[in-house]
Amino acid sequence: MDIQTLNSIKSKFVARQVADELVIVPLSGNVAQMNELFTLNETAKIIWENIGENQTIATLKNLLTETFDVDDATAEQDILKFLEQMDVLQKYLN
Amino acid sequence: MIGTSFKLSIAEMCIHLHAESSMMVLEDGYEPFLVNDNTIPEIDVHFIRQKPIFNEAHFKLVFEAQNETQRFYSIYKNADGLCFIIYNQQTIDEVQQIAYLNNDFDSWEIHSTDSVALKYPMGPILMHYLTLKTDAVLMHASCAYDGKKGRMFSGFSGAGKSTMSKIWADAGSVIINDDRLIIRKLEKEFFVYNTPMYYVDQSKKAPLDAIYLIRHASRNSIQKLQGAYAVSRIMAFCIQNNFDSSFISKRINLFTEICSQASIFDLGVVPTPEIIDFIKANE
Repeated sequence: MDIQTLNSIKSKFVARQVADELVIVPLSGNVAQMNELFTLNETAKIIWENIGENQTIATLKNLLTETFDVDDATAEQDILKFLEQMDVLQKYLN
Repeated sequence: MIGTSFKLSIAEMCIHLHAESSMMVLEDGYEPFLVNDNTIPEIDVHFIRQKPIFNEAHFKLVFEAQNETQRFYSIYKNADGLCFIIYNQQTIDEVQQIAYLNNDFDSWEIHSTDSVALKYPMGPILMHYLTLKTDAVLMHASCAYDGKKGRMFSGFSGAGKSTMSKIWADAGSVIINDDRLIIRKLEKEFFVYNTPMYYVDQSKKAPLDAIYLIRHASRNSIQKLQGAYAVSRIMAFCIQNNFDSSFISKRINLFTEICSQASIFDLGVVPTPEIIDFIKANE
């Protein structure tokens, strides 16, 4: 999944903060058991909160390297892993 | 039981069922939950014995409860509330009941081809929406109470919920139920209640001290879960009609509170009586 696709469907997920993390649940029109509910750690939480129309992997990478003590490669890996997770959750959407 | 008016207390929530023009039947499993007092009902259920007719034009389909082999119910929505089309579990496509629920979730109208008012799956649907009105949730789980602690066991189908119940029952614990339970918050504490089943069992209640998410394993193992991860793991085992964001938010908030008061564990289980001592030594 790319960032713009995620931005277009972001409103179909419910995200709630629990301690320092986010629990994220897709709105679903069927009874498929949500065995793959995801929690987002602090890094993924920042990515989620900043998914928007003008974001790219490059801008998110800058944000992560400025916010956390991580290098470019690690930041990019975190973003790609997050997008993979959202791709899995997407299958439960209406 | 046959009558025109019944009052039920499920998880200390009161339901008033009434029928004006015909008698209705409640299955035997509901009998221990009948009450005859002046409690003001949380919800009112008006039963109407007539062939259900649904005009889809005024509604939008929002949810389908079905799997590869069974079709349970569909949920439609309009400005007045929700409409549940409930299918016959034998013939699948035949509509068994149509139930309308208002936006405040406190008034049902059930139209039914036969006289059984809460014929499966109407009963669990009604209980699920009752829990959404309060600080409560309907869970796929078993619960054993040893007189000191209430321990809930949840997991995927076949994970061993009933086996765990039998092991605890053999050791003298009271089994609240081994399949479906309500967790409810009452005055800052959480309790576990059984719900009416297809068999007769008395109404029961236990404190909720711990929840174990169980799975078969080659040796007994236990790991404490916390925070968002614990919330997301438990949430997978509640009844889910996740078409409305407010339902999901309410559930996450409730499970966050449950996780802050009860201990949550991932439990690998070898299904022998030794699991009891293992749990008590490690919880």
